[in-house]
Amino acid sequence: MRSCNNCKVTYDTPLKHCIFCESELSINELDRSTYKFTPFQKRGSWVFFYRLFLFLNLLSAGIALYVDYTSGASLSWSLVVAISNLYAVVLCTILYVPTVWTSKVTKGMVVSIMAALFIGLAIRDHRWALDFVFPLGVMANTLLLSILLLANRSRWFDHAVSLFGICLFGLIPGVLNFFGSIGTHWPSIACFVYAIATLLGMVVLSTKESREEFKRRFHF
Amino acid sequence: MKKKKYWYKIDNAGKIFPAISKNERSNVFRLSFYLHETVDHNILELAVNKLLPRFEAFAVQMKSGLFWNYLAENHRHFKVEPEPARLCLYFKSFRNHGYLFKVYYRDNKVTLETFHAITDGNGALTFLKSIVYLYFRLRGQKIDHEGKILSEKPYSKREGEDTFVTHYDKSKRKNLREELAYHFTGEHFAHHWLLMVKIRLDSKAFIQLVKTKYQATVTQFIVALAAYSMVQESVDFVGNKKPLKMFVPVNLRPYFDAVTLRNFTLFIKATFSSEKKDWTFLEMLESTKADFARHLDKEKLHERISSNVGFEKNILVRILPLFLKNIAFRIGYNILGESISTSSLSNLGVIDLPSDFKDKVMDMDFVNGGYGIAITACSIFDHTNIIWTSSLKDLSIINHFVSFLVREGLDVTLDTNYREGYDEIL
Repeated sequence: MRSCNNCKVTYDTPLKHCIFCESELSINELDRSTYKFTPFQKRGSWVFFYRLFLFLNLLSAGIALYVDYTSGASLSWSLVVAISNLYAVVLCTILYVPTVWTSKVTKGMVVSIMAALFIGLAIRDHRWALDFVFPLGVMANTLLLSILLLANRSRWFDHAVSLFGICLFGLIPGVLNFFGSIGTHWPSIACFVYAIATLLGMVVLSTKESREEFKRRFHF
Repeated sequence: MKKKKYWYKIDNAGKIFPAISKNERSNVFRLSFYLHETVDHNILELAVNKLLPRFEAFAVQMKSGLFWNYLAENHRHFKVEPEPARLCLYFKSFRNHGYLFKVYYRDNKVTLETFHAITDGNGALTFLKSIVYLYFRLRGQKIDHEGKILSEKPYSKREGEDTFVTHYDKSKRKNLREELAYHFTGEHFAHHWLLMVKIRLDSKAFIQLVKTKYQATVTQFIVALAAYSMVQESVDFVGNKKPLKMFVPVNLRPYFDAVTLRNFTLFIKATFSSEKKDWTFLEMLESTKADFARHLDKEKLHERISSNVGFEKNILVRILPLFLKNIAFRIGYNILGESISTSSLSNLGVIDLPSDFKDKVMDMDFVNGGYGIAITACSIFDHTNIIWTSSLKDLSIINHFVSFLVREGLDVTLDTNYREGYDEIL
């Protein structure tokens, strides 16, 4: 044991000085005290780099918007820069937050489609994004998740939630087509039909297990 | 029989934790046993995995529903890990095979760190006792469990009971209001590091002092002395307008005949006005006794349970989608959560272990990783450990507390996770 003669306490840890009065501890011959914790070592943190990344992107977007705005014409190229900056931040956050990778892929796909759509709107030519990127991207993601769901049944519900979400998202091109907002019809119709078919498949092929999982997820 | 499918709604006390937990406020607490031998981590891992099917309340993973989070079965392999340097570290369950607790080993120490959403101190202690018991058995040692190890008893469905909901009585709901409390300010340790100071006392001498000289319970004495130390060492308390409030979680199981392993505690509080300028220790102790007598009443506890559960049963709360609930919880907690208490004391009481553990277990730690200053207490074998954890660098309050005990003639032995040289890096 070690003791502080000033505070009249003993220590069961190999400190040389009292933590309260900082006077030197007297060490008993029989002292066997050991440090019972894992020593702390300073390590770099990702938080700083994430914040730096966030700051640089916001700075980039702000400067681009300001320069474009002061040029006198209406905003054009700066919107593409700002959307790209925002897209980079959101995508990195999605990748950084720990969750199942199928969820990351689905969220990443949704964000990428939205970014493409906004860039299309910014350059006043959104047809390519709305007519092709949106429906084909959703269909590719739906196909990937369907294959995963069938192949990896032990984690089926982790994929099923993402699949359910992307199918709902996949109904949007069909709805827009219905209201005449789509130029090239076949991709959006194909996406809509594929999404409906997948949703129906999830309902028709559902097991007692999946209905139970549904009950859990929607418990009120 | 080993169940394959089960799930729980998160209990009333645990519902808020998933939304508000982060590095600065982990809501993780630690229980450790120091053994007389170096821990074999392979056997420890085997013990935990063998026990998990018996402890359904722990063999779970958190999942998000549309309206609420919930706990679903988790059959994945559990991995024990070397103990990290920081106490009660916030962890992502996704990186822990979905489990909401961690088991660490270091030299002769087995540590269980648990996220508060699944259980409280008593539930975690029951689990840790079973882990250590099975660990010894797997090491080939014969131990008589004396009926004190839950894993050796038949499974009861009541272990997974949401006892808050069971005892909800709509007619007993009351509108609860809580005033803001005095808070400590000062420099915090860097890197979310928590200082732990363990005060080890001889139980017999300590209880003699508390019972004979002060006619109080151990919890009342520690609360009063901690509050007295805080008042004495805080220069801005008097005239602060906000009272000093010590929160004490009460194990409700004995009051409501419950055996659940899930959360079943409720805070009672001891409040000390900042308008009074010359608090003495005896006055604070009397005030604590009066507060305890007022709050430790089954009817009042029942009213509070009903009020808390009544909130989650409110239709407006229930229909809110989970992501909006999480935002609301975060905002509500930032406005009210930490502001209503100054500090807390969690007392696990006397740790009831089989007598064969006496030559196998040396000591234990119970650490609460609360933000600011938190205190815990537990008695094991012949000594009592009072553990202070602090994210603040100022040690004057703990010093005052220790000095008082020394002046009362108690032999005080200290242990800490602080090391020389930490001032430069923390």
